[in-house]
Amino acid sequence: MRRSSSALFLVAAAIGATACARPGGGAGRTERVVCVSKQINEFMFAIGAQDLLVGRDLTSIYPPAITKITSVGYHRALNAEGIISLRPTVFLNDGNYGPDEVKTQLQKVGIPILTLNPGTTLDGAEALLDTLGTRFDRRAAADSVLAAWKAGMDSIYRDTLQWAGKPRPRVLIMHFGQLVNDYLALKRGGVADHILDWAGGVNAVDSVGGMMRLTPELIAKIAPDVIIATDVGFDRFGTAQKFATMPGVSLTPAGRHGRIYRIEETDVMYFGPRTPAAVRRMAGFLHPSPPAR
Amino acid sequence: MLKRLTFAQVYLLLAVLLAGAVVASAGIGAFTFSPAEMLRYLGEAAGWMSAPASDTLGRNVFLELRLPRVVLAGVTGAVLGVSGTIMQGLFRNPIVEPGLAGTSAGAAFGAALVFVLGEKTTLAFTAPLGALAVPVLAFVGAFAATMLVYRVSTSFGKVNVFTLLLAGIAVNAVCSAGTGFLSYIARDPQARNITFWNLGTFTTASWRGTVLVSVAFLLCFAWALRHGKSLNALMLGEDEAAALGIDPAGLILRLIILNTIMVAVDTAMVGVIAFIGLVVPHMLRMMKSADYTFLLPASALFGALLMECIDIVARLVISPAELPIGIITAVVGAPVFLYILLRQQRSGGAFYG
Amino acid sequence: MVEVRGVHYRVNDAHILRDVSVAFRPGRFNVILGPNGAGKSTLLKVATGLLAPTEGEVRFDGRDLRELGADTLARRRAVLSQHVELAFPLSVQDVVLMGRYPHYRRVPTARDRDIVDRALAIVDMTHKRAQAYPTLSGGEQQKVQLARVLAQIWNYDAPDGDKVLFLDEPTSSLDVHYQLHLLDVARELLGFHCTVIAVLHDLNVALQYGDAFVVLEDGRVAEATDDPNLISASLLERVFKVRARRLTDPESGDTFWRFRL
Repeated sequence: MRRSSSALFLVAAAIGATACARPGGGAGRTERVVCVSKQINEFMFAIGAQDLLVGRDLTSIYPPAITKITSVGYHRALNAEGIISLRPTVFLNDGNYGPDEVKTQLQKVGIPILTLNPGTTLDGAEALLDTLGTRFDRRAAADSVLAAWKAGMDSIYRDTLQWAGKPRPRVLIMHFGQLVNDYLALKRGGVADHILDWAGGVNAVDSVGGMMRLTPELIAKIAPDVIIATDVGFDRFGTAQKFATMPGVSLTPAGRHGRIYRIEETDVMYFGPRTPAAVRRMAGFLHPSPPAR
Repeated sequence: MLKRLTFAQVYLLLAVLLAGAVVASAGIGAFTFSPAEMLRYLGEAAGWMSAPASDTLGRNVFLELRLPRVVLAGVTGAVLGVSGTIMQGLFRNPIVEPGLAGTSAGAAFGAALVFVLGEKTTLAFTAPLGALAVPVLAFVGAFAATMLVYRVSTSFGKVNVFTLLLAGIAVNAVCSAGTGFLSYIARDPQARNITFWNLGTFTTASWRGTVLVSVAFLLCFAWALRHGKSLNALMLGEDEAAALGIDPAGLILRLIILNTIMVAVDTAMVGVIAFIGLVVPHMLRMMKSADYTFLLPASALFGALLMECIDIVARLVISPAELPIGIITAVVGAPVFLYILLRQQRSGGAFYG
Repeated sequence: MVEVRGVHYRVNDAHILRDVSVAFRPGRFNVILGPNGAGKSTLLKVATGLLAPTEGEVRFDGRDLRELGADTLARRRAVLSQHVELAFPLSVQDVVLMGRYPHYRRVPTARDRDIVDRALAIVDMTHKRAQAYPTLSGGEQQKVQLARVLAQIWNYDAPDGDKVLFLDEPTSSLDVHYQLHLLDVARELLGFHCTVIAVLHDLNVALQYGDAFVVLEDGRVAEATDDPNLISASLLERVFKVRARRLTDPESGDTFWRFRL
């Protein structure tokens, strides 16, 4: 999943009795969707297909209204029966779900599985939204969201020109991994790295791919100018001042100058219609007084 | 209350309760099935009734998901109950169970090896074993761990409780460190698999796995039933057992092997479930008898009964999602464990005083 | 019927038995005497078959022990040792029933149950038959163990070949009442085609009950005799490293020993 694929298309796999490419997206029959991907769930809301959702996974909490939808548990510890009891017409996912047996169990009872993996590229994310628009009969809504999204990105691209030739702050993005109960650095090549780049920063970690566990010494050695912490990790301290007291962080330029900022995890983990706003927020952190155009 | 019944009557009582629990467990959950529906589905599956086209979803859920799960839960309870009984007999001590003696942790480490290093890596040493890789490596890990704990705790002839506990702690620590290391070097999805597997779950039940676990259990159980008298005699000590015509060394090796096969195959399928092995024989001794010719069959029935009840709870608490089994067994089992220890303290050292 | 021939027993460098040959007297109360470390218990364990000798052989009814199956042997001889503790609350009758284990496969027969009842009666524990073994006093527990070995080599009715009862210091944790009771029961067995072979630590008790004696000294047989009078003061003084004086009970005429350092 983290492998940065150059493929600009979606991996779409439809398994089960019902073909997903049925013309008209199953008109005349109401879809019932259980979706265990944060990104796809957010997109479903974005194109106004949220009333089709009958189940979500525990980590899908954006937009806030989604929490009213029944949770089927953690996306890596699902139980097939709970999903089936919601009588879905399709089980939607991005390929990251488990245990593996859930797949065969759903197949056995004839629940179609639709895997849409957008990868970590912007094009992949846009294609995902497009596919959802067609699949769930929200063509017009998807088109207008896509248009606004693309316009937003165009404006972002124009803005990036202003960073050319200027010094870029070195930024450490710290994510708190709840499973490992530790802070992780987001390395180069991912979604967050792209957002950082467009916002006029440079990733202070110079290796590529995925995440890396942080230790106080490692943080001190990386010595970032700015630290961006995702929500859960930041909120453990509550304020930037307290965050700066963390061992290692206090030794960095970011810690000394109080340049520690909070960002929503969902803003930097995948691309979506909110990406332009996320880039601007990030740019605001990195360049408090942006140079005039 | 059970004291007045004969052993056969106790088996019958437990069997009736188990049958009730199985029916309840088969009917209750994210889907609810009435007894009539269940009978119809079973009839259809057996070919006695023609299958109507409608409601294939309910039928498939019942036959493909619910039934294997109910059977797997029952067999797992039986495995853990019988295993606890055998191990307490071997160690001549009522606090031993697969979780304490390193068996489960060893099996978990073996299985984690397959999860992390198996199939998808260049270290594909598990490939020739195929689907049996997890059970086989789980057995190897479990056997090594149990043997080590047994050898250390009996190195002065008699089983020493303190040495046993310390050896158990040490071996468990080594195994969990190994599993921890594996989950540290694992890619993200594998690491999460290990974490959840460590708490035990029946959600992955399939007929294939259930049949494998059941066959392993039935073979080992039939073998174990022959050793009731020997386990009783072993209570007297190894020399006394030998004077009664039993070969203690051979007996111990056979029992550790059959116990490890059962536990490893089961653990490979459902993950680590603690405390059932401790609670089941303990309660049966208090309610009825410490005679192993009784405990072996009774702990299979009672373990299965207990596990069916726990599984129902696991499915209902946060329905339609569900709790890992290990969390519930620990909540139920840990207080019982503490109670045994307290009783031991109060009665000046003797259990069951 | 139990004969030890040229037995050596070594553990690592320790030479515990050195060329021991003894023919125990059938139908008699045989006593093995000797100081601590002389190899008494080892000799007893070798004779029972629980320990295999490093060299030499043990013959039971003229046959090498190794040829007899463990089951056959268990139906012919029983071993009562020191205090046995149980970690589990098994009932008294369940413990005694263990003596019958070599005699039945899955389910005890009516005769097995009858023998348990009668063994319990002999040791006067019938009233506690349903009680949990760990709740008994030490003396009562040893009575139950005695009933268990009686049940194992039951020969009171319909004698079934000659039997042997081995006693490995069974009275060492008992008060004098239980000691004498246990040894009286063991002596009664002699009238029922049984042989007793015992290690007893109390010399006076040993001489009072025994009628054949083997004295071990440093892993060797120092004396083997049927006559208690041949156990002389000089022998005891040499073997046990004490001063010994024989006294006579003025009422009964029995003799007993008084020891001083």
